[in-house]
Order: sequence, then structure tokens, then C-alpha cells
Amino acid sequence: MAAFGSFALLIALALAAYNLFAGVIALRLIATGQSARISPERLADTARRAGIAGFVAVTAAAFALVWSVFNNDFSITYIMEHSNRALPAPYKFAALWSGQEGSLLLWAWLLGAYGFVLRLLHKTDVKLYAYAGTILAGVQLFFLSVVNFAAPPFSLLKGALPDDGNGLNPLLQYPEMVIHPPMLYLGYVGFTIPFAFALGALMMRYPGEKWIRITRGWTMVTWLFLTMGIFLGMHWAYAVLGWGGYWGWDPVENASFMPWLTGTAFLHSVMMQERKGMMKSWNVWLIFSTFILSILGTLLTRGGLVSSVHAFAQSSIGDWFVAFLVIVLAVCIFTYILQRSHLKSEQRLESLVSRESSFLFNNLVLLAACFVILWGTLFPILSEYVQGTKVTVGPPFYNRVAIPIGLFLLFLTGVGPLLPWRSTSLRAIRRNFVVPSIALWATVIVCLAVGARPWKDGVFDTGNFYALVAFGLSAGVFTAILSEFLRGAGVIARQTRRNLFSAMYLLTRRNTRRYGGYIIHIGVVIVVVGLAGAAFNRSQESELGLNSTMAIGPYTLKCVGFTQDSNLNYDSEYALLDIYQNGKKQFQMTPEKRVYLASQQPQTMVAIHSVLSWDLYVVYEGTNPDTGQPIIKAFLNPLVSWIWAGVVFMVIGTFVALVPSLVPATASLRVPASLGAPTEPALRGGD
Amino acid sequence: MGAADAGARFNNLSHRLMCTCGCAQLLGECNHVGCTESGRERNELSAAIATGATDQQILASFAAKYGVTALAAPPTHGFSLVAWIAPLAVFAAALLGTILLVRQWSVGKAQATAQASSPEMDALREKVRRETGSGTDGGF
Amino acid sequence: MTDLQGVLAGAMMALALGVYTFWPENAFASQREKTRLDYLLERKEQLYENLRDLNFEYRAGKYPEEDFVAQRALLEDETAQLLAEIEHLQQA
Repeated sequence: MAAFGSFALLIALALAAYNLFAGVIALRLIATGQSARISPERLADTARRAGIAGFVAVTAAAFALVWSVFNNDFSITYIMEHSNRALPAPYKFAALWSGQEGSLLLWAWLLGAYGFVLRLLHKTDVKLYAYAGTILAGVQLFFLSVVNFAAPPFSLLKGALPDDGNGLNPLLQYPEMVIHPPMLYLGYVGFTIPFAFALGALMMRYPGEKWIRITRGWTMVTWLFLTMGIFLGMHWAYAVLGWGGYWGWDPVENASFMPWLTGTAFLHSVMMQERKGMMKSWNVWLIFSTFILSILGTLLTRGGLVSSVHAFAQSSIGDWFVAFLVIVLAVCIFTYILQRSHLKSEQRLESLVSRESSFLFNNLVLLAACFVILWGTLFPILSEYVQGTKVTVGPPFYNRVAIPIGLFLLFLTGVGPLLPWRSTSLRAIRRNFVVPSIALWATVIVCLAVGARPWKDGVFDTGNFYALVAFGLSAGVFTAILSEFLRGAGVIARQTRRNLFSAMYLLTRRNTRRYGGYIIHIGVVIVVVGLAGAAFNRSQESELGLNSTMAIGPYTLKCVGFTQDSNLNYDSEYALLDIYQNGKKQFQMTPEKRVYLASQQPQTMVAIHSVLSWDLYVVYEGTNPDTGQPIIKAFLNPLVSWIWAGVVFMVIGTFVALVPSLVPATASLRVPASLGAPTEPALRGGD
Repeated sequence: MGAADAGARFNNLSHRLMCTCGCAQLLGECNHVGCTESGRERNELSAAIATGATDQQILASFAAKYGVTALAAPPTHGFSLVAWIAPLAVFAAALLGTILLVRQWSVGKAQATAQASSPEMDALREKVRRETGSGTDGGF
Repeated sequence: MTDLQGVLAGAMMALALGVYTFWPENAFASQREKTRLDYLLERKEQLYENLRDLNFEYRAGKYPEEDFVAQRALLEDETAQLLAEIEHLQQA
């Protein structure tokens, strides 16, 4: 199977190369109007087919690797290092991306899959898709070169064949790990599509802004994958790493967050271009940066430039990525300079008090946040270069710098929807701000009253202060969004004599993009409330003998037993804890520690009891070597479940935004068929 | 100094120091099983707090012993100060730039310029208004 | 699967994919240039959209009367000019 896999990868490489070169030649011939022996359009179509065939070849290679994992073919180095016989089946899939070679193959496969769909849909706009497909082939050529030459997943083990493999890193043996990396990769890889469209549209001097509508769905789906990937990663860190938190500002986390920030900025500012033909250069660079950042993220974490807890996938492919980054940047800059006259803005801004300017500030803040994170991630390298010593840029830095920026962004989330497009006067919309402001201050007063105060024993506490601001702003933003729904629904209810709920439904259906977006914002607000809860985290550590107890918050933990167990994959020790509340036994928890046999690596399994107001999070830290009794660390983390609930809203909102809007009753957009105009139903625009 | 106070100081300081085993976690949060450094360093920190040294002295002694990388955030002097200033400077510059840009782009309140009001154009305008539902027919 | 079988299977796949890629077929989609009319129709769609939105936001209480009238007049003028050009092109 190894021979077949390697062969398939070579075929895929050849097809990608053909796709790129034939595509370039064909597009060049068409652009310059030169004639050739073969029709350039026919040549372009063979290039497209080569892309589709390339996907089949990469799929065959990925299949070969998975097949070999499931058949325990330890003659393949990669499988020997990342799997073992006793590994449960779902984690055998995870072996595909738990190491460098496999994850690059996954990357190439996902890119192939995106490209496959794109090439099938090419009739939407043949020329634009031909450009995008060719650019995609260029990116694919790079990844396939890496898996063929620098990090081959099918390289064979030298020497005697071992009986069993080293096994999968225990950190990765957790359900989320089976879906988190593919989601994240779908997000990273997916940004190649809008990148290819944007670069292609610029190269061909695409007339108008329709390409944005064409790519909108792609960009949103990609953004959704990246969002889910990030949050699944947070949940994984929370449930597996056992330090009670979910975000450590680790370089790998930062690497996924940066393209998310620029991608989010793009999704907002692109509306300016679509509606008003503004900010064209800016948008082009936003999407270029998003793509470049997702490649840079891979370089940072895979190339061993920065240290990270995700050290399981480092190697020397850094040089390849540096070279690729340089080429991408050069192509972007060159194309931009050559075609910049095409990107002149058509319109101007009418007023500072408008949706447009709120988008500008939203972009400013998202980009500032991105800069802070990039800066913090790269500063250790810069410092070593300038002053010879590395410094650590850890959570205290980000918390101090990024949280105020995040709060400012939250504020804009509330203000933006209240402003109309084009312009208005503050006077006209002042009353729209009244209710949200009342909600904000009422929440602040309630928080102060129940004891969430920004000072402790007379000392000012920054964390609590930020939490208070976050709660207040969240209430204000939530009210602002709700009032937007109600105002819009009110108009429809008046016109169509519906009740408010059915009017709200119709409102959303008529402009799914805007109201889907608002649902996403509600999700963000809920996430922020959950994040702010971290300011009030508590923890307690204690050695718990049989029948001894410890108290945290309203709970009392009583140890009713500690025992050991083992299976083929791991040995485990765990404590049985009865949890009492108000003197009554409520439930039982079993925090656990495992030692995986194949890798001989230990791993904690956290026990979490989650309710709306807080999580009780219990870690089995090990046993005291002197007494043989278990050491238990308990955390009471307020509001954590809000984070995961908020993500659900974000996902729902994105789905709503992806549904095409209903065309309103005055369906006057239909153009008489005799004109040969596009017959697709007119989409509702707006934001 | 009460025990609660020492506990709070320990909590605060252990979140301003890194574990030096290479796990890239805060000292107060490093929990990976079998860590060779964090236990000893935490004891060291407790001992230092017990001697009554100030926060600054404790942080400085850790930095001297384990290198600057033991501090979780860059120091605020020398070149490392740049780490703190740059985000602020960039944010301020970008904010200023955006405001200037908005002002430059703004053409002021929209004025309906006098259009050539030929009968054809008026008819077209009328058509547009009808088709975009300016009336009360439920469209918006 | 032995190495030889693997290579043979790979060769067969390469052959099949090559045939698919270069199969002489003339029913490929042609790259039609977008005309000025296409562009104007897209633009009209967007301007209609903006106008509808303006009307809606006005009714939702985001514009004072005079702002709304001025904005609408501007957008309607722009759209009317566009429609005039569309009509002109369609007659040509």
C-alpha cells in the first residue's frame, strides 16, 4: 500500500503541475487573443479536468494511509510513530493528522476537495473560475511538492519490522481531537478559495463586484469551519490539559486566531465594496493577508520557530514554507501594482455617523487585535535577534493589551447595527441608543450589587473591572440587537398585519445575511459573558483520604474510594468523589489519570460537572508518594458553559446567513428573459 | 501578613512567572504529569513570599536565576519596553489614520443635485420608486 | 498489497486519470466575456437593493425625513441614469 500511496502522490503532483501550467498558458492566450494550434478554451478545460483528477489521486493517497493505519502496517515510519495495535478505531483516523506528514497530506486532500467542488461549479462564471482554479493549482502544487519531497508520509522504516507502533500522543486521544484538527484545517485551507477568487478577479480585471457574491458563501463556510475549529480546540484544551482554562495564548492558538480576525474583518468590510464599490484595495489585501497568515501560522508552529505546547508536529519544513510565503507575497504585490488602477473606489463616504464608518472602525480594531497577537508571537524572535536574549510573551501581556481592544470591538458590535447605511445625524438616532444604555447601566448596577466589584479589599482588580465592563457592554449590545429585530419586525407587522413573531421570522427570511449576522453577534455576546466569568475563577487543592472532604463554592467533595484499572490501551487510577450540596448528595465525579502503554505517557482525564452558572472541574493530580492518597484539585469556573452555548448561536447564525433571502413582494428585479440576462433569482443583498 | 494574603500573592506571582520546563505554561498552571521543574519552583516561590520580599524582588530573583524567559510578560525597561509600546503606538496611529481617512472621504451631507429633468428621466425615476416599494405594498 | 501490485494499481489509476483529463470533448464551457450590459444589470440589482434598504431603514426610524428624501433622490437619480443606459444598450 505504501508504494501505491507514494505513486498516487506523484500522480497528483504531476496533475497539479499540468493544471497550473496549462491553465496559465490558456488564460494568457485568451487574454492576449493569440491563436494557437489548440483552442485555448479547450486547453483551459483540460487544466480544469486535471484539477478534478488530481483530487482523485490525493484521495487515493489519503485512503492508502488510512488503510495502512487500520491494517497496522508498521513498515511505514509514520504509522509506526503515530499508531499502535490497541488504538481505538476513531483515533486511528486521528493518526492521519497527528503528525507532520499526515497533516500535510490532509491539508492537500482538503484543498483538493475544495478545488473539486469549485471546478464542478465552474459554469457559474467560467472565466473567473478558470482563474481561481489555476491559482488553486499553484497552491496545491506547493503542498504536494512538500508531501512528495520534504515530508513523505509513506517513507518506509529502515531495519527490522517492529511488532507494535509507538501509539498516538495521549493528549490527542480525546473525542474532540477527531474533529478539531479537520475543522481547523478546513478553515485554514478554505481561505485559499476566497484568496484564489480575489487574486483571479484582480488578474482578469473583473468588471463589477459580482465575484464577491460568488465567493460570499465560500468565505462564510470557511469562516464557520475556522470558528468551530478554534472553539473545539478550546474545549479540548479545557477538558484535556487540566489546568482549568481554555485559552493560553499559545503560539498555535494565536496562529489560528490571526486569520480568524482578518477573515472576520473581510466579511464585514466586503459589504462596503458590494454595496458601494468602496475599499476595494483594502479588501483585496485583507483576503491576501488572511491567506498569508494561515500559511504563516503553519510555518510558525511547524517550523519550530516558537515554542508551544503543541510541539507534537515540528520539523524542518520551515524553509519550504518561507519560500512559499515569499512567492505568494511577491505574486500578490506584483499583481496589485500591475492592476491597482482597477481598484479605484467609486463612491465616497457621506458621513461619520453611518454604517460605513462603523465598519471602518470595526476593521481597524480587528486588525489592531491581529497585530497585537502577531507582534506578541513574533516578539521573542525579534528580541533574540536584537538584544540576544529571548523573552517570554505570555498571557499577562495579551490579557493587558488584547482585552481592552476586545471590549472596544464589543462596543462597536452594539453601535454598528443602530447606524443606517449612508448617513444620518446623531440627533435622529439618539433615541435608539436609550434602551441599550439603560440595559448597560442597569447590568453594571446589578453586578455591583451582587458583589462583582472591580475592587477587592480596597485594591483595584483589573480582571474584575474588565469583567464588569464586559457584562455591562454585553447587556447593552444584546439589547441593541434585539431592538433592531423588533424595529424591523414592527415595520413588517404593520405592513402585513402579522403578529410580531411571524414578522420577525419573515424579517429574517427576507434578509438572511443581515439578521443571520445579528444572530452571530448574539452568539459573540454570549461567548464574551462566558469569557468574562473567568475573572471569578476559584480553585482549591487538597489531599483526599478515604471519606475526607474538601469544600469549594457551594459544593463539598467527599472521597469515597480510589482505585486502579487497566485495559489494552492504558492503565488508569481514579478517585470516586461524592458531591454534596446543602448537605445532600447530588452526583458523583471520577477524575482520572491514565498511563498509555504504547507511549508510556501519562495523561489526566478531567471530571467536569457543568451547569449554567458554573463548572465544577476536578483534576486527579496523582498520589502523594508518602501517604499513597490521591491529590485532588478542584476549580469552580463561573459561566464557562456560556462559551459553548454562544458558539451554537454563532453556528446557527452562519447557517441562517447562508440561506438565500426571500425576494420581497415587489419582485421587480426579474429582467425580461428576452434580454438573455442571468435567470437566477435576484438575491437579497444588504448585510 | 495573613495566610490568605500570602495565598493571594502566590496566586498572583505564579501567574506572572513561567514554568521553565519548556511546556510554555504559566508556573501557576503547569500541571503536566511528571514535570520536573514546576513543583520545585512553586516551593521556591512560596519560600520567597514567606521571607517577606517584595513582588519586584521575587520576580527579579527568578529572572536572574532562570533567565528573563521565566517572566511571563516582557520587562518594562530596555528593548523589551518596545513590546508594550508598539501595540499602543500602532493602535493610536491606525485610529488617527482611520479618522483622517473618514474625514477625507466624507463629502459632507448628500445634496440632491439638480438633475436634468427630462420627461424620460422623470419616468425612469418614477419606475424606480414604484419598483423599490417606496409605497406601502409590503416590499422594503 | 505488495509493492508490485501497488505500482500496478497506481499505473492503472494514472492511465484512467490521464484519459479523463485529455478526453477529446468539445462540449466545454466557453469563457464568455462579460458585457457592459451584464455589468449594468448587476449594478441595477445592487442599487435597487440599496434603495429598498433605505426605505426600510427609514420606516424603522433611522433617518429624519429630510435626510431620507435627499438620500433617496440621490440614489434614484443614479438608478435612473443606469436604467437609461440599459435601455439604450438594449435598443442598440
